[in-house]
Amino acid sequence: MSRVFGIELRRSAARGTALVVLLLGLVLIFFAGGILFADGWMQLAMTQRWYLALLWPLALAAGGWQARREHRSRVAELFASTPRPRALRIVPTLGAMAVAVVAGYLAMGLLAGLWIAGTAEYLPAAAFGVAAVGCLALIAATWLGLAVGRLLPSPVTAPMLAIAGLAAVLFTPWATRPRGWLSLVFSPIDQMNMPDAYTTVPGRVSVAQACWMAGLAITAVLLLASGGRRLRVAAVLPVLAGAALAITVMPHHNRTVLDAVDPVARELMCTEDAPRVCVSRVHSGLLAEFTPRARAGLAALAKLPDAPAEVHEDTTVYPDDGRPAWRADVVLLDVVAAPNGHLGNESSAAEVVVRAFRGRATCENPSDPADDLAAASWLTGQAPVSPTPSTLLSAGTHDPETVAQATQRWQGLRKLPEDKALARVVALRQAAVTCSARDGIITGGTP
Amino acid sequence: MRWLTLYLRSRRVPMALAGAGGCVVVIWSLWSVSSDSRTVGLATVILTVLLLVAALTATLGGPDDALELTAALPWPSRRVAHLLGAFLVVVVPLTVTLATGARFGPAAIVVRDTAGLLGLTALGAATIGTPRSWFLPLGWTLASVLFPGETPLAAEILTWPAQPSSSQAAAVTAGLLTLGGLIAYAVAGPRRRAPAEAAQS
Repeated sequence: MSRVFGIELRRSAARGTALVVLLLGLVLIFFAGGILFADGWMQLAMTQRWYLALLWPLALAAGGWQARREHRSRVAELFASTPRPRALRIVPTLGAMAVAVVAGYLAMGLLAGLWIAGTAEYLPAAAFGVAAVGCLALIAATWLGLAVGRLLPSPVTAPMLAIAGLAAVLFTPWATRPRGWLSLVFSPIDQMNMPDAYTTVPGRVSVAQACWMAGLAITAVLLLASGGRRLRVAAVLPVLAGAALAITVMPHHNRTVLDAVDPVARELMCTEDAPRVCVSRVHSGLLAEFTPRARAGLAALAKLPDAPAEVHEDTTVYPDDGRPAWRADVVLLDVVAAPNGHLGNESSAAEVVVRAFRGRATCENPSDPADDLAAASWLTGQAPVSPTPSTLLSAGTHDPETVAQATQRWQGLRKLPEDKALARVVALRQAAVTCSARDGIITGGTP
Repeated sequence: MRWLTLYLRSRRVPMALAGAGGCVVVIWSLWSVSSDSRTVGLATVILTVLLLVAALTATLGGPDDALELTAALPWPSRRVAHLLGAFLVVVVPLTVTLATGARFGPAAIVVRDTAGLLGLTALGAATIGTPRSWFLPLGWTLASVLFPGETPLAAEILTWPAQPSSSQAAAVTAGLLTLGGLIAYAVAGPRRRAPAEAAQS
């Protein structure tokens, strides 16, 4: 059997399929939308799932193509005349195609993983679930392709399957509206796009998706093995059972994955020596890079009375009441993983200083961002700039108008005598701590 | 006339036409029923073009291309006519829908994508064989529809099937593919299969 399997691996569409999944997958994950998985392994697993949008229809087509091999080689009649039962004959083909797509998918994940291997340290178990569902989805697709290719033997079956598969992927969210959770059951790519740092895929979601895909795969095998009409009708049962089970298991909320937060990924990991610098567990690989920047920021803040003594990652998540507790002696700053896997420009020493003038998030009298920026620039002695965004969606930047205003106010501060300017900066910091900011603290105007 | 009938039958054209026509009717009806908009979405238009081109792919080769070639006929002009016919089979029904309740447009994109994809398919038929000739057009179009790029120019060229009709780079790419496919297929014809595969469809 293993010899037959080895031959099947070499002589079927398996090698080509694996190669297409691997190469196309790598091109997509690096170039199609920028690198969206810099934060860690969970993000990598989810981004890989997102690109199933293309790989899944192509796996269907690969199955459809493989199913016509006996027709193409004109041996269908010959093989039908062998006494070996059909169910046994298809096993090596099924195995070879499954091994091919799984190998291609995993190799794509591992090669893309090399990109973040140096910086990503947190590997949650849920990431394996996400990857396993991805593999299962591809297996189900190729097997379904094989089954349909057998039922509709035509040279156009394979391309039609791919187009139908893509249409299914594209229109599932639309067809299941407004029940978004149904789309999550049936579409392996749903809600996998642009995962944020603390996201996760709850185990129940992965289990439900696995049920559906397993049902689909079993139906495909039955269709492929079946000789008669009765078994073909019976083959519908597994897919129905899988769908029913998946619908039962799946949480009936529309944003299950989008709103999911991994509390372990969000926990703070700190340096042991003072001044303490803390980042979330998912960014723990960036702590060594972040510490010198954070401490440089704290050093610049040391001129202030009651200066902040620690820098923590701002682990705010929406829409949970997921705000880290605000403390006057802690500066909160986003830790951004840039596409190259390393620390982004948004998490700079200058930004640590700026954030020291930011009050608690619930404060109703927030200070003017231009004031924060001007005060920070006065402390560091460097002109206000906005960090260049490391990703398209980067939130840690300042708009040009704010920077222009801040530059003006910073120059105003520099013209003042040292002690007067310091008094204004200290007043701004006090206003942030006590939530009593108003316009004019930096410019010296009266309220 | 007799020759044409036999040729079309040997290339399984009636089957392909029925398939293509059926696809257009089904997609047209689905859109008419399910959408309030009279203009069909761009992704659906491109996928329909791809579907029609894929349905016509099988007609690019006959049951035995080597045998066919032994006939002392001016093949290049006939092959060009075949491709032109295929082009019209895709473009005409989609243009007709412009007068109905579900419009497959804009016409410029339909013409550009049909020409480019047919060219690419013909190029595939001449180089890797008719049964495999849909690989590249299919993969390329699906990837472009899902992840169309705008900048830089390379992204615009690489995702030409999904570019807006104003894109010159996409038009030039489609033109080159059309020309390349037309010339390669007209001159060389569908790639002959290895003897072991020869007597099959």
